[in-house]
Amino acid sequence: MKRRELIRAGLLMSFAAALRPTQEMAQSAKTPSELTPAQSGVDASKYLAAPGWRPLFLDEHQNETLIVLSDLIIPATDTPGAKEALVNRYIDLVLAAETPETQGAFLNALGYLDGESMRRFEVAFRRASRGQQDELLVALAYPRDAGGRTVEPDASSGTGHAHFETLKEHIVTAYYSSQIGERELGSDGGFAHGDYEGCDHTEGNHN
Amino acid sequence: MNFTALGAAQQTYDAVVVGSGATGGWAAKQLAEAGLKVALLEAGRGVSPKEFTEHMPAYKLKYRDHSPEVARTRPIQKQCYACMEYNYEWFVNDLENPYSTPPGKPFSWQRLRVLGGRSLVWGRQSYRLSENDLKATSRDGYGDDWPISYADLAPYYDIVEGYVGISGAAEGNVMLPDGQFLPPMKMSCGEVQLRESVKAKFGRTVTIGRAAVLTQNHNGRGACHYCGPCERGCSTFSYFSSPFTTVKDALSSGNCTLFTNAVVSHVNMDSEANKARGVTYVDRMTRQVKEIRGKAVILCAQALESTRILLNSSTRDYPSGLANSSGALGRYLMDHVVGGGASGRLPDLKTLPDANEPQRPNGIYIPRFRNTPSSTKETRFIRGYGFQGGAGAEFNFSAEGYGTSFKKSVKEGVYEISLGAFGESLPRWDNYCEIDRNLNDAWGIPALRICMTHGDNEAALMADAGTTAAEMLEAAGAKDIRVQTDVAVPGMAIHELGTARMGSDPKNSVLNAFNQTHDVRNIFVMDGASFVSSGCQNPTLTMMAVTVRACSHLIDRFRRSEI
Repeated sequence: MKRRELIRAGLLMSFAAALRPTQEMAQSAKTPSELTPAQSGVDASKYLAAPGWRPLFLDEHQNETLIVLSDLIIPATDTPGAKEALVNRYIDLVLAAETPETQGAFLNALGYLDGESMRRFEVAFRRASRGQQDELLVALAYPRDAGGRTVEPDASSGTGHAHFETLKEHIVTAYYSSQIGERELGSDGGFAHGDYEGCDHTEGNHN
Repeated sequence: MNFTALGAAQQTYDAVVVGSGATGGWAAKQLAEAGLKVALLEAGRGVSPKEFTEHMPAYKLKYRDHSPEVARTRPIQKQCYACMEYNYEWFVNDLENPYSTPPGKPFSWQRLRVLGGRSLVWGRQSYRLSENDLKATSRDGYGDDWPISYADLAPYYDIVEGYVGISGAAEGNVMLPDGQFLPPMKMSCGEVQLRESVKAKFGRTVTIGRAAVLTQNHNGRGACHYCGPCERGCSTFSYFSSPFTTVKDALSSGNCTLFTNAVVSHVNMDSEANKARGVTYVDRMTRQVKEIRGKAVILCAQALESTRILLNSSTRDYPSGLANSSGALGRYLMDHVVGGGASGRLPDLKTLPDANEPQRPNGIYIPRFRNTPSSTKETRFIRGYGFQGGAGAEFNFSAEGYGTSFKKSVKEGVYEISLGAFGESLPRWDNYCEIDRNLNDAWGIPALRICMTHGDNEAALMADAGTTAAEMLEAAGAKDIRVQTDVAVPGMAIHELGTARMGSDPKNSVLNAFNQTHDVRNIFVMDGASFVSSGCQNPTLTMMAVTVRACSHLIDRFRRSEI
């Protein structure tokens, strides 16, 4: 048992006994439908990895485009990237349940990416070369050059960068909320805990 | 031991307490421990530590907190930061619990129906009101003074703090009386830097939040282990919630019977004697209608719900709502105004966020510094606001760009600092709730129509808060400062107050100084409905202190056989 688990077990044992709810209070479990899945202990972490997965909302081309894009935005380094974290599957699941506005904004942004790729390279984004993909993404991700001049392709409307940010936000949320993403942020698999140490510097010396 | 049905119907309790949250728990505990026979009614189900989810990572949730079920059944509740895919069943289903608002006047009513109510998910910030708050009218002429003074309330603050366990630091600030504190939580470097520079440049106080979270073992509950998300429950019971403290004590006394799933519709009157004889409730599951008799009825259902029950209890003698001869029932609704503040970055401080590092469930607090006894009188607004905030290293999810450099930037983090104001909400006659005769909840009980807007004074407070927050962050060395001067939708502070206010004049108030209705001597309202003014401090601590004080009075009257 890891240290973290020991602490957790200890915490639970020492206070659960002292504060065992009375019989009246514990009658709650009669209606399990009134617990959230999480409160019932459901672990859905393997849901997206289920064999035979099919997208619920995206079509095949959109799904493949999202896989390519997500792995460009958060690539595998010494840690896994967005593709391995099944970012596309999570986004598809959430989009399927989202409002028409959110669904539409996502498809608009994804369509913009393809449209811009076809306009520049006469090929859909996912089939463009890595160099072409980078050329387009640099233009969208950094809408101004070092001198502050706008470099994005349709500066008149200013939407290229906004579309990029829409897609990026979905991808970033999906990646860092995954188990792989938690590990990327340093999680050892347990929950945060310990003494909150705070500042121990002398006055005025916090840098 | 849950003898409902016949047994309950025949028994007359000394006190029927409606609501098991922060104040209902205290009422049940105080009265039952004094030997009174108490029936404690909760509209929702019971709660068990087995359903706590504070240690569950987001990836174990199917939608990782973007559940469509929450959006479908709780479109209003999910406006609350604490309503999540983890715990949304604790919050009311908006489809079953409707209320209406006039066109263009939204009100966000965020509430729970489960044992413990909102004490399960509250923000835990615990501040005393000062004499300057309770007697503000004497200084600026607006509204009405409370019929009680700080000296009346102070001993009860002591009792509540001693039992609940409030961690915090004494500051000797005239606007924010010190209390009985457990050791304070620590401040981050950015917060200490803010404290030092704000003291030097403006003479204002920055202190660690005073929180109902234990920093050492206390009353059989464990010290905080800093896992972070208190609103999902706590396996060490480190934050205060009523089911595992006051309600547990009440039940352990042997004098309190708990009725869960008891949706109270109205108070029953003995009109001849002008006394309440109990309440009627609908069983939430079976829809059976039941009556519980009591010598005293104590409403602790939450400000708007307690008032709704009285409005739904009209009789021939009280045609516009029970105990409403003043016409003030439902009036003077308040909710702290929020939306003003500022945020920025402290580029000189070290950033190395880590997913394992302890999460402090608390922030910093800046007590009110406008219109104090020692400050110049503001011309643009009366009263004032306090700030909650915090500073710390966070993951930089909004780093620019993409690819390997983006991934690295996220982990390098950014040092964020922010302050958000809570402003005093003035009591106004035209902010009110009434019964909407065309709208019923799922139990057939007429629902509320809530009419509230924040006024010019509240807007001026938030405008000023944006300015002062920015100047304090700047003094602390913050960059990229973003100023907010919005006025959020009423209800968003989740500090509903008023609608059955106390007062010494029965002609313009509902309750006397002991939370007893002027009109019917055995009906009490012991929750935020009783507030005469709002101060700018988070109200739960005061609600609990007022309740304990009122219970002491009620116990005395029982001992003298006056009830």
